[in-house]
Amino acid sequence: MRIGDGAGSNGSPPLVVLEHISKRFPGVVANDEVDLQLRAGEVHALIGENGAGKSTLMRVLYGMYPADGGRIVVRGEEVKVASPRDAIALGIGMVHQHFVLVDPFTVTENIILGEEGGSRLDVDAARQRVAELADSYAFRVDPSAVVEDLSVGEEQRVEILKALYRGVEILILDEPTAVLTPSETKDLFGNLRKLREAGRTIVFISHKLDEVMEIADRITVLRRGRVVGETRPADTSKAKLAEMMVGRPVLFRLEKPTVEIGEPVLRVRDLAGEGKLNGIDLDVRAGEILGVAGVEGNGQRELAESLIGLRVPASGTIQLDGTSIAGMPVADIRNAGVAYIPEDRHDQGLVLNMTLWENSVLGRHDDAEFSSKLGVLLIRRIKDLAERLVRLFDVRARSIDVTASTLSGGNQQKLILARELETDPKLLVAAQPTRGLDVGAIEFVWKEILEQKAAGRAVLLISAELDEIYALSDRIVTLYEGKITGEFSPDAPPERIGAGMLGGAEQEVA
Amino acid sequence: MPFTDIAVAIQISLTYFTIIYLTGIGGLFSERSGIVNIGLEGLMIIGTVTGAFGARFFTDTLGLGQPWGPILGLLFGALCGLLFAGIHAVATISFRVDHIVSGVVINLVAIGLARFLSQAFFGQATQSDPGGPHLAILNIPLLSSLPSGLGRAFQELSPIVIVAALMVFPVWYVLNRLRWGLRLRSCGENPEATRSLGVSVPLYRYQGVLLSGAFAGMSGAFLASEVIGNWREGQTLGLGFISLAALILSNWNPVRLMFFAWLFGFAVAIPLRLNDAPVISLLPDQFIRMIPYVVTIVAIAGFVGRVRPPAAAGKAYEGGGGT
Amino acid sequence: MATEGMAAPARLARARPAWLEGFLGQLIALLASLGIALLLGSLLIVAYGESPVAVYSAILKGSLGSADGIGYTLSIATPLIFSALAVAVCFKGGLFNIGVEGQYLVAMVTAAWAALTFDALPGPLLVFVVLLFAMLGGMVWAAIPGILKVKTGAHEVVTTIMLNGIAVSLLAWAINFPLKFTNAPPGQNVDLRTDLFSDKALIGDIGHYFGVTPGAHLSWLLFLAIAAAIVVWFLLRRTRLGYEARAVGSSPGSAKAGGVSIGATQLRLFLISGALAGLVGMQEILADKGYLGQNYVATLGFTGIAVAFLGQNNPIGIVFAAILWGVLSRGEVTLQIQTEVPREFIIILQGILILSVVITYQIAKRRLAARQLQRAGAAGELEDSAAPDESSGPRGPETAGSDAFEPADEGGR
Repeated sequence: MRIGDGAGSNGSPPLVVLEHISKRFPGVVANDEVDLQLRAGEVHALIGENGAGKSTLMRVLYGMYPADGGRIVVRGEEVKVASPRDAIALGIGMVHQHFVLVDPFTVTENIILGEEGGSRLDVDAARQRVAELADSYAFRVDPSAVVEDLSVGEEQRVEILKALYRGVEILILDEPTAVLTPSETKDLFGNLRKLREAGRTIVFISHKLDEVMEIADRITVLRRGRVVGETRPADTSKAKLAEMMVGRPVLFRLEKPTVEIGEPVLRVRDLAGEGKLNGIDLDVRAGEILGVAGVEGNGQRELAESLIGLRVPASGTIQLDGTSIAGMPVADIRNAGVAYIPEDRHDQGLVLNMTLWENSVLGRHDDAEFSSKLGVLLIRRIKDLAERLVRLFDVRARSIDVTASTLSGGNQQKLILARELETDPKLLVAAQPTRGLDVGAIEFVWKEILEQKAAGRAVLLISAELDEIYALSDRIVTLYEGKITGEFSPDAPPERIGAGMLGGAEQEVA
Repeated sequence: MPFTDIAVAIQISLTYFTIIYLTGIGGLFSERSGIVNIGLEGLMIIGTVTGAFGARFFTDTLGLGQPWGPILGLLFGALCGLLFAGIHAVATISFRVDHIVSGVVINLVAIGLARFLSQAFFGQATQSDPGGPHLAILNIPLLSSLPSGLGRAFQELSPIVIVAALMVFPVWYVLNRLRWGLRLRSCGENPEATRSLGVSVPLYRYQGVLLSGAFAGMSGAFLASEVIGNWREGQTLGLGFISLAALILSNWNPVRLMFFAWLFGFAVAIPLRLNDAPVISLLPDQFIRMIPYVVTIVAIAGFVGRVRPPAAAGKAYEGGGGT
Repeated sequence: MATEGMAAPARLARARPAWLEGFLGQLIALLASLGIALLLGSLLIVAYGESPVAVYSAILKGSLGSADGIGYTLSIATPLIFSALAVAVCFKGGLFNIGVEGQYLVAMVTAAWAALTFDALPGPLLVFVVLLFAMLGGMVWAAIPGILKVKTGAHEVVTTIMLNGIAVSLLAWAINFPLKFTNAPPGQNVDLRTDLFSDKALIGDIGHYFGVTPGAHLSWLLFLAIAAAIVVWFLLRRTRLGYEARAVGSSPGSAKAGGVSIGATQLRLFLISGALAGLVGMQEILADKGYLGQNYVATLGFTGIAVAFLGQNNPIGIVFAAILWGVLSRGEVTLQIQTEVPREFIIILQGILILSVVITYQIAKRRLAARQLQRAGAAGELEDSAAPDESSGPRGPETAGSDAFEPADEGGR
């Protein structure tokens, strides 16, 4: 592990220096005195886990956020970057993970929008300019094509060309390969090499170690907002990088109850659909917690949604205790004994405008216990349920009559947990269950999940946090690009699991 | 003359084409910038009362006579429409009020406001005196000489009909060949992208909405002064909504809009003239008047091709949400 | 997880219960917008050389100061209550029913047909049947956009507007042909209408119990309207359907994850809305006139939207909002008789009122959201949706909640 000494791959003075950059958001330190140097004519990879601060740092450079501390020096002069316009004027451009393109417009129109060069549009001249620009960097793109018809890879090229058209010298790419196929990635790398030859600087934000090793000249590793290392591909390895990225002392360990693990409750075979799921096989047994580890965006959401019925998979089978549930409506799947802790508690968990007691019965509101045959809600019973849930799970709120939006995130999650676990499910699907929670709430949620295991239920835990995976799982699998890439025991060292999460296929039989 | 009836029907339809097309173009500018405007009817209403007044005022009171009097009258109607549309603009753009609600308010207030203005202008609440001044009618060269009575279709038309027919050229040019048009359209398709490139979305949207007021106002002024000859309450007859239907069916495209505006203009004309024609005499007038609406529903339900609003405007069409 | 330190216990900083904050906030917003509207209105009044205080108090006296006045006011309010309820029911479920306008027209046709066809029935039963057919007519007309929305995704705003246009023609056709009144005198300029309904089909006047002139046509439809408001309240707050509707309208994703069928819920809402819309025209044909004529009162559907928003889409609020609207509308007559201000001032005032209510609501909503964001931060954690998400697009906490350019796709309340 070597802290960067500024000696770049080509010895030229740094183009951009980020000095002691700090950025705080309420409750979160995203960047903690980060130092970074960018040189002309290099591909500089910025890697780290979710929440490490990579995107934030670059957004500070791009003028989207003001830094709370530190300074930015461009071409030897300290500058203030107050907005993306300032950044572009300084020659810094950024391509985000979610493209901002106008679908019905052509490639050319998208590129020149805002920089049209006059109040009349000379479409032919513009198209010519775009074509020349694209050629000079070997970008294959048709200037007259309509963006709607383009593949994701081509759209990305348009976004890059947008920046190049405006004369940027430093191009920041935020997780550019997250949405590309392998062959598109190859094309992109070809383009990036050409740009490098032409003296441009590329900042390549990624968590995919294979690619980083292939394309980067220098690599900076962030962890929890701090720089933990700067190195070069020649001086390191994927394993070492993974360790830098994820290795850290586990927060705390809870006692895992010893339970006899029974038969598979959930059997998933060949689950595939929509490009995000590419053939998943897994089993979860009664009394077992299966941890699905992986960086977000590799199919986790789609997997969870398929299991609860919010998504109909294109192919494959899902069997719950022998019954096939793939494609069944949500209500039926719930009745079959599946409970769901969603990744997004606002979009798929609670109805924020409703009160706590109303939320506590969502999913069971049509049970005979809670609504009469005529459809009238049995409010007293629902409120009793709510009070019980709030008490048992220590949901801190003034009363059960407040709206769910007034609850803190931790308490919202507790409410969801209470509601779902109350149904005594056979299978609990928990997706990122402690995201955004404080330590106390995390511990609580973990305890409850372990309780489920103790009660002999099956738990599928999907999480991007290795701490969590380690603390709870009896078995671990890694999910990468819609496939299970490895199976591990909880004794496996983080580098190996990290590698599975990040693209290297590893197999270790438990 | 064998084709006289059809010819007259076409003649009438050209007049209604003018109304529907002008209003539709107004709606087009607003919606393509991303602001849904269902208040076209209300804007037209304002145009009718102010246009009728303007024509009288400039022609007779100020003594400007032909042709400037009626022209200024039309422009006055456009101006008033523009100002009235300002309410919609401020509400939706600066205050983020739901577009539909604002449009409903525009329609409601327009009725009362028109009466109000009518009192002020004409001393009567629901109509002005008939026989107001209008532009001299003309015959379209060449076409008005068609044989077998067909020529009748192109005779005795207001010059504004020609203006409307030719309007497609500048409108198309502005939308597709001017920077302004590119930016306007991008506001309607992807305001986030637009903003990320440093273009001010509110600026262009304001312009779009104000233009819709100007066009719809002019269209109403045309209806009152040139077509009917005076202002009468309710004379817009739902034409604002028919223009909206034509706009939707035309996929917000100014060239296609010409076709649908004329088609619906024809649908308005049929009951007025072709009642005895073979198939049509089987259908009561009222059913013919339904045609524009039925066709629109069928289209957007996807039965005939897909209708695709400007993306940002489309969100508003998806209906209100939230408790 | 890069959280800082241990979080404070999750009790919220202020000691005001949330529901009160919501209710109080709404009330304040409402009063503020009423104040603004009246203020702007006074500018216009002054332009006419009158005193705003004098004019406003004249309106109040005229509409609420006498039995007759109250009678007229409530009579105007009655159809608006039905109309606004129809709009609100759909709105709670995230749907925009602008088609109340057309739905009540169709309902008037079906009701008129029933009144004339089932003439042989005894009085109370006949009235019941007529009202039933009114509701059925509205339901059928509302089912069309409902089915289209659920099956094809067609935007209900567009379909309902189109159906309004069709309904106008449908009604015109009905009184021109099948329901045209017998023994119509010949000629073009006849006021077209249906035959007069027999007296037993009409809804009785209740005004005479309260000293209200029969001219106000204050009928027991008013009680029906208030009952409807209570029923709608009960439906929304105390039944499964209302629960599911509100969930769908507020958070369709969570509703779906909870097993609610979005399409079925939406369809049910359209049907209920249509039934309510069907009753809008009953004041006109069963209490005021006793027939359906070509001079029927229009725009009640659009006005219903205005009243619904005035009442914050809340059944009880709607009753008060409708009465407020009635007070103002009745004021037209007062203005005409007693002041120099033209009666059209009223509708301008009403327009200003709606706009100021809706705008104030938007502002209040955004303040509330901003404050909640602050609270979440103070409690030691920020939701990921507002925190810098590693994989999200060019949005950050500073821009969260200021959704700069999307047209507000909530419709306000």
